Amino acid sequence: MYTRWLFFLSILVALMCFPLQWYPMALRLQLGQWLGADEYRAPPMAKIAADTTTELPCPEDLLNWRDAQTIAGVDVRHSPGCIVDNPNAVAAFVRGTNNVSQQILMASGLTPDAVEKGRDLDGDGDPDEIHIRLEVVELNGGSPESDLPTTQYAIAPGISPGFWVFAPKMFGMATENFESSKARSMLRLPSPAIRVEQGDIVKITLENSHYMPHTIHFHGVDHPFVDEDGEGNDGVPVTSEKPVLPGSSRTYNMQPRQSGTMFYHCHVQPHVHIMMGLQGLFVVEENRPNNWLQTLNVGAGHVRVPSVAVTEKFDREYDLQYLDIDIDLNNRIQKSNDPRLITRDMHRRYDITDAKSDFFTLNGRSFPYTFRESLVVTKPDEHIKLRIVNGGSTGIALHTHGHKVTATHYDGVEAKPAARITRDVVWIASAQRVDLDLETTNDGLHSYGSGIWLLHDHQEKGVTNDGIGPGGNVSAIVYENYLQENGWPKTQGMDFNKFFTAAYYRKEVPVWGDLLNGKFSDVEFDLWMLIRLLGLGLSLGVMVALVINGINKRRP
Amino acid sequence: MVIIKIFCVLCILALNFSIPVQAETQSMQDEHHHHNMTLDSSGLVMNSNDNTLPQDCDKLSRDYNIKVYAGTKYAADYPGTVFGMDQHEYQVEPCSRITVTFVNEDEVRHQWMIHGLPRYLYPGGMFHLEAAGGHSQTGTFIVPSDNKTYLVHCDMSQHMEKGMKAQLKVGKGSGDLWAIPGVSKGFIQDIYIPEEIWIYLMMVSIAGVVITTLLISSKRS
Ligand SMILES: [Cu+2]
Ligand SMILES: [Cu+2]
Repeated sequence: MYTRWLFFLSILVALMCFPLQWYPMALRLQLGQWLGADEYRAPPMAKIAADTTTELPCPEDLLNWRDAQTIAGVDVRHSPGCIVDNPNAVAAFVRGTNNVSQQILMASGLTPDAVEKGRDLDGDGDPDEIHIRLEVVELNGGSPESDLPTTQYAIAPGISPGFWVFAPKMFGMATENFESSKARSMLRLPSPAIRVEQGDIVKITLENSHYMPHTIHFHGVDHPFVDEDGEGNDGVPVTSEKPVLPGSSRTYNMQPRQSGTMFYHCHVQPHVHIMMGLQGLFVVEENRPNNWLQTLNVGAGHVRVPSVAVTEKFDREYDLQYLDIDIDLNNRIQKSNDPRLITRDMHRRYDITDAKSDFFTLNGRSFPYTFRESLVVTKPDEHIKLRIVNGGSTGIALHTHGHKVTATHYDGVEAKPAARITRDVVWIASAQRVDLDLETTNDGLHSYGSGIWLLHDHQEKGVTNDGIGPGGNVSAIVYENYLQENGWPKTQGMDFNKFFTAAYYRKEVPVWGDLLNGKFSDVEFDLWMLIRLLGLGLSLGVMVALVINGINKRRP
Repeated sequence: MVIIKIFCVLCILALNFSIPVQAETQSMQDEHHHHNMTLDSSGLVMNSNDNTLPQDCDKLSRDYNIKVYAGTKYAADYPGTVFGMDQHEYQVEPCSRITVTFVNEDEVRHQWMIHGLPRYLYPGGMFHLEAAGGHSQTGTFIVPSDNKTYLVHCDMSQHMEKGMKAQLKVGKGSGDLWAIPGVSKGFIQDIYIPEEIWIYLMMVSIAGVVITTLLISSKRS
């Protein structure tokens, strides 16, 4: 008999617990007329922000890599950013790793045959025989020993998608040291920008140190389809050659007749391999006397030893490479260790026609890391050469705050002066290159004056890290008077420490938690409402049990 | 062809200047130890030691000469690997001297690197051979007296994970390391199952229900 009372009691409790907000509107209006407005009860308090560990936005330059210095007779320019390239490596790339001392090789980590420079064939004071050796390195790959990725490389705090990159040939460990699982600084995204001179006899050897087949295709660079021996030289497995197998090598030959900003990338399963990071800028510089080039620009960015032709017209030069990332592709190398499973997951199960980009990088980093190493630094009344490639899957609408830039070259070909366009949003389709002249004359057109002016893709998803802003490929054009001694810009806006936490990009930190005394912070939950809902759930459960019990009893 | 010859000459020149040096890696951000090493375009030998005994050894127990072959072809016997070595386990006596000749049969770099040696004798606790493609390197080290298993691997990105992992047991050793091809399983293991596993699981579950129901009803009647 008590079960009947229990049933009615549970209905009563359920009705009482049912949140007022969920009642039908008509009933609520009627109740409101009868009983008047509900009494005030303060909403829950603001949540106390959790402690988040903050990375140092601008680590100290302990080895004085930023300073202007002369190494092996090479004048390596001051690099104003916070984190810059190893000047020893820059000098070795200029002289040739076969022409510098053991000490410089040790300090750069390069092997003696990484970039070999030979004879001066035209007698104009610079070497014309260039032999570059590139390896293939996997970053943030999987392991049979741990579920943490190996050879780690973060594009932003806590964000480490898997990558494959071409890398200069270096000796020793892939990590900083045995205790660390972080990749050494020269093993990084993007693949290095390559610079050769018009007319150079260039050999590029791909030493495939990776567990998958790869090639190199020289997009836009003047090269023969086959070399002197009839071997494929175009890097395309469908038409010119077999892929370079793991543990094997192939040498590509070329003598580019035309100068310009070009591109190189792997052409094996290109829809996967290009997007994994096997791509870089390839610059053919105009021929000049005594033109000692920085053959590799690791991680792209500031060119610390610009060519003679560039210094004739420009004060500084930057290489900018854009790439978007579909995390669903890049993380597949972490899910299995067996190359048969990895290749199945990447080349058959992954469908790029269903892809959607999550991360957007400039020179291998997303904001806030872009502010450490990819700022375009200037002074008033300068001309800056920006060589830009869009290595990504969709176009980018590159916007320069505070400046209108002039496109001088498209895909390495100079536009006639009359055809040049000056604007503040430059559209760059996939694989296209654009050379921009950034003029910093304060005339209200080319520049609006000194400051910290953002430089970013104006397709709005491009300024986020998986939907969290600020992020993506946001960088800035910074005037020197807005730069601190350590290379960090004198920003006057929000506190950057918040952006240097992994928690912020894990979506755990309210975007304005520090504004207006917590008026936009996270909220504690309403304990009373929680108790009501639990009560509702419990009483519904009791009702169901009673109903089942009743049905069972009635059965003969 | 002329160009190839020129580059051969360059290579020989490069070999010539590769006199052994006591190198200091003072400005390498990534490396803080002082290594004794030789480097040229055929590779490098780091922390070779053929005469200094570890503190706990009175005398050399014996000498070993190990020849190790490396290359993708040695991965053939181990499914799921791509890079290989012909041996994945070495057994030596305490206080013995081991001379390793590392022969690289691939066209890319490979390494034979051992970790965990006493740091007062081997900076960073390691002894390291690195051979450029088609080259070999030889070096010597002396192990201490305690029973211990040392990690041997190639530290190029993903080479250990994809097969180039081995262990060196001194005396009785201290157990096996994980994921040594032919010796031990991976700590994290891949799962190999058919793609239609859920259909199979469902079919088996339904079969279980049907069989049990039939059995119970046959007992009742
Ligand atoms: Cu590839
Ligand atoms: Cu290896």
